[in-house]
Amino acid sequence: MVWVRIGWCLHPSRRSCRSRRLRTVGPPGSSRPPTWSPGILPVELILARTPQRAIGLTGIRAYPTGFGCTLHLRLREVIPGEQSNFGAFNMFGDGVDPAGEFADYYLRFGVGFADGRKATNLNQRWDFDESPAPDPPTLRLVRWEGYDLLAWEVDVWVWGLPPPGPLVFACEWPARGISETRVEIDAGPVLEAAGRAVPIWPDQTPP
Amino acid sequence: MSFFAMPTWEPPSGYRIPAWLRPPETMIPGIVPVELLLARTDTDAVLVTHLRAYPTGLEFILTARPHPDQLEQRGHDPDRPHRFLYHDLWLELRFADGHTPSTDPRSWPRTFETEQPDPPFLYYHGSGGSERGWHSTHWLWGLPPPGPLTFVCQWPATQLPASGVEIDASLVLEAADRAVPVWPTG
Amino acid sequence: MVPGVVPVALLVARTDTHAVLVDNLLAYPTGFDFDLAVRRHPRQPRQHHGRAHLWGDELRLEVRFADGRSADNDPRSWPRPAGDQPPDPPVLYQSTSGPDGGHVWLWGLPPPGPLFFTCQWPAQQIPPWEAVLDAGLVLAAARRAQTLWPKETSA
Repeated sequence: MVWVRIGWCLHPSRRSCRSRRLRTVGPPGSSRPPTWSPGILPVELILARTPQRAIGLTGIRAYPTGFGCTLHLRLREVIPGEQSNFGAFNMFGDGVDPAGEFADYYLRFGVGFADGRKATNLNQRWDFDESPAPDPPTLRLVRWEGYDLLAWEVDVWVWGLPPPGPLVFACEWPARGISETRVEIDAGPVLEAAGRAVPIWPDQTPP
Repeated sequence: MSFFAMPTWEPPSGYRIPAWLRPPETMIPGIVPVELLLARTDTDAVLVTHLRAYPTGLEFILTARPHPDQLEQRGHDPDRPHRFLYHDLWLELRFADGHTPSTDPRSWPRTFETEQPDPPFLYYHGSGGSERGWHSTHWLWGLPPPGPLTFVCQWPATQLPASGVEIDASLVLEAADRAVPVWPTG
Repeated sequence: MVPGVVPVALLVARTDTHAVLVDNLLAYPTGFDFDLAVRRHPRQPRQHHGRAHLWGDELRLEVRFADGRSADNDPRSWPRPAGDQPPDPPVLYQSTSGPDGGHVWLWGLPPPGPLFFTCQWPAQQIPPWEAVLDAGLVLAAARRAQTLWPKETSA
């Protein structure tokens, strides 16, 4: 291979490019505010790494109401016979008990605030429309995109900004050999980045 | 202490779409023994297949498929990305009594999801495809009367004139008679 | 690899009704990718595309390096692959597109100097707009990209 085979489709006509997008416009809280340009804090973390798999995190794209970041799921090489992304995007759906026989295949990701509050992808709220907005923080996977089995990006939206102090990113993927790991950063720069977010149109109302 | 706690299971909500928008769940359909070629040009073909009849209506699949020689061209033609090509393929059924249920959502009564509409009503359950072809699944609520039954398609994106195929509705009605419940009563 | 983050969200175009943002810029040693995000003014109703529309109706983006090389998202300008040889950079590949924009991968890192993003969207009455980013931010982020497994093949 002459070039890094991450994020590059060899030919535009290759059909291995897949992406899925959930709705990104909804009630306040369900996604990043659409009429703001974020303040960016360059965070680049390796949350977990085994000989075969790794989970990276980049971000932070901060707004007055919350922040976004991206999980990078990496597989070192294709494992024949394995459904490598099974459970990665929490798509089990109705009728499947998440604590049942597939529980270990769920990729768990969450954030923990200094005041003890936390949010994980295990209680994603899909129905912001039908119920009152929950207490922050909440966490949703809003987009996932991949080019082949080896590299997938998952965009995460956290509604609610952390208080000052440590901000923890946690992940776990038992069936893939990734036991619970936590990486901590200082929430201060996240809050400063949120302060740098700007509205796109001067005449719009606050979020 | 573990960061993650798996949520307690909530059983499926049990919501089902109304009975008039779907085939009866507890019946085995009668198969209508026809495969219909609605239209064929040098570049595309439109088919209706998998006709399955019940006492309450008829289920079938509408397929649009390009000629194999078109695939190479369509894969690279920026003026006709495949995902838009099937956007305006419409189907209309013509009954002997003059009814013309169609897949055009503009002809559906506004309350069709909550109030049972007058039959016939032509609904569709979903569609999908690629540059290799497109298919959609349809449910006709309300069987046709005896006499001619015509399937007509229109496809402005390919300049296909309205064209269709007529069958005898008795094929559908006889198949509907053959539908049986999965769990016999009594 | 885990990419480096470019610490800028770039407003590339703005009219009274629409704005186009380059967001989530992530850099690797071989190139960078980003979200091309369409935002609507809060008073702008969401349009439903009731008609099939042609490629020319979609958002056009061009990225231009300080040395004059450029790439755009017109699929007619995609290079025809010649065996296993990589194409000459820069090459722009938009992997998804829709009414909210899409995701873009740019193969090739820019030289130092200004990096220009030009977009236009005739169907939404967005005339050609241009925004500039210091390519040094992209290059610095690319240097921070982390290799996950030391023997990973790289250019």
